[in-house]
Amino acid sequence: MQLLINGLIAGSLAALIAAGLALVYGVLGVFNLALGQIVLVGGYATWWFCQVAGLPLFLGIPAGLVTGGLVAWLTFILFVKPFYKHHRFLPLVTTIALSMILDGLILLLFQERPRSILPGMKETMLLFGGRVSSEQLVLIAFTLVILFGFAYLFHSTAVGRRIRAVVQHDHAAMSLGINAPSLHTLIFVLSGVFAAAGGIFIGIDQNLTPTLAFPITIKAYAAIIAGGKGNFWGAIVCAYLIALLEQVVVGIHWFGVFYIPAGYQQTVALLFIIVFLLLKPTGIFGSVSRSA
Amino acid sequence: MLEKEPMKIGYIGPLTGDASAYGVDTLNAVKMKVEEVNAAGGIGGRQVQLVAEDGRCTGGDAANAARKLIDIDKVVAIIGGQCSSETLGAAPIAEAAGIVQVSPVSSSPDVADAGDFIFRTYPSDALKGIDIAEYFGEKGYTKVAIMTENTDYCVGIRDSIKAALPEGAEVVFDELTEPGVKDFRSLITRLEDMEFDVFVPNAQSDAVLGAMAQQMREQGFEQPMVSQDIADSNNLPSIAGEAVEGMRMFNVSSLLGEEARTEGARPFAEKFRELHGDPQQNMGFAVLAYDAAGVLLEAIAAVGTEGTAIRDYLYGLQAYEGAAGTFRFDAKGEVVGIGNVQKRFENGKIVEGVVTEETVEETGTGADTDVTE
Repeated sequence: MQLLINGLIAGSLAALIAAGLALVYGVLGVFNLALGQIVLVGGYATWWFCQVAGLPLFLGIPAGLVTGGLVAWLTFILFVKPFYKHHRFLPLVTTIALSMILDGLILLLFQERPRSILPGMKETMLLFGGRVSSEQLVLIAFTLVILFGFAYLFHSTAVGRRIRAVVQHDHAAMSLGINAPSLHTLIFVLSGVFAAAGGIFIGIDQNLTPTLAFPITIKAYAAIIAGGKGNFWGAIVCAYLIALLEQVVVGIHWFGVFYIPAGYQQTVALLFIIVFLLLKPTGIFGSVSRSA
Repeated sequence: MLEKEPMKIGYIGPLTGDASAYGVDTLNAVKMKVEEVNAAGGIGGRQVQLVAEDGRCTGGDAANAARKLIDIDKVVAIIGGQCSSETLGAAPIAEAAGIVQVSPVSSSPDVADAGDFIFRTYPSDALKGIDIAEYFGEKGYTKVAIMTENTDYCVGIRDSIKAALPEGAEVVFDELTEPGVKDFRSLITRLEDMEFDVFVPNAQSDAVLGAMAQQMREQGFEQPMVSQDIADSNNLPSIAGEAVEGMRMFNVSSLLGEEARTEGARPFAEKFRELHGDPQQNMGFAVLAYDAAGVLLEAIAAVGTEGTAIRDYLYGLQAYEGAAGTFRFDAKGEVVGIGNVQKRFENGKIVEGVVTEETVEETGTGADTDVTE
């Protein structure tokens, strides 16, 4: 049970970032290599609002989300929009540049020392035989609600259909009266909000350090690839799946004989993804018709 | 005429880049010593001239710096490097040229075997593991759980603890974790069916160490924690809160240089602050650089400028009365006398010094059991 709870904690974090990535890369088909930095921006902004400016948590978190969305919007206007119509790989270069700029800015503004949004120990309680803190429960519930809410919106409503239409064919969608450019911006801003939510999650559950950005996006890439590109549900489910696998790998006494060394925790999960993709290249939830 | 020519001493340290704070502090301290010696008339009537080179905290730059100091400046001896990579990079060159090199603050265990002419005034990292293991013996801890971040430094500490464990003690839990990972919850669940007396969070950064300590306590484990110098960080209470309360760690004293060594003299730290303000990194590094320069200049004053003579003098030295403490060198050029002290978190502050039995009861064991409720 403890492993399941741990998987949910780690999975919620991974799913938030994977959701952000699924939107820009999976849906829009644009690379945003600065997404990991936007995660940090969200986390650090919330830390600043709560610990320096003294706002309560319920105001600090929305403020952090808005900051994340804002930075994502600026990223889109300045670093992506002028380039991505020319060649879809151009933002790859421009957002790498942005990620370096943001790395430097974060170091300058928030220093190298680790920061925690909610410092100190959390009171844990026993729930079905596993230990969990109320903060973690709220984080898990909050993540599930916004992610599944959005996945529902995206896959099962008229608004979602519009977004998907724009993704499939810009001009065709516009000829049907859909405002494609503003939807692109919306997708990008939303991805920033999800990423910022992930950063806030880290800042509350663990702590923030300026070098965190790159490693956390790797698992997100794995999740959206395994989940099937363009499939929002798939990305979320796979993020949870990978996280759960990672916990199970180190937490279980395999066949009552041996433990897998903790150093292999991440490797084993990614290995699983590779094996899976060899068997089903379109991803776990991907279908041929959708991967246009 | 030749008698009046200044005698050159080289300095290597990181004067630019991320580690430049070490460089600035140690160079300032070395300058202080040289100026004092010169004000007192120099060595044998000759003034001492310091030639500083930037080692940029890398082996390659330090090697170039050593080459320049030895071949072009013709220095008598070298103080440096500061980063272990610098000391190790410069060592083969100094060794081949027969020039004594004294590193003030390098801690890598590899420095011990870097060469015959290589000395240091900072205790090797290997000592930390030995001190930690000794402490286990004192407290009667026999079952040790260690969680190690997979980096050279942390693995080195783990290995030295394991090698030095007292008779009858064993490591019952020994796991390496991916560098930078901060989620140990599932790994910690393994400890539930296990008996252990003490937990060693052995991480490369305080961010990771804080996560280890916090998640242990959150899972309800109340065993005491003992760690190395990464835990000697004032950031820990602000990220892990009361989880680190009562944790012990072994590191070089942060009070080095703060107290006068001889009756009536001014403490080194006071003189340093007067000339250079507060140290950029820490006073301990500055005072050890001051002493490294001091012991070297004393050797030169005693036996002259010949490399082998200086080396033999340093090996034969019984005791040098430095500003940081009284020390000598062992057969490998390792400092003896400057060691680690035990520190602990008490009410969110780092406290060091001799612990009386009474305070152990109040702050040590007491705090450990209070943490989780």
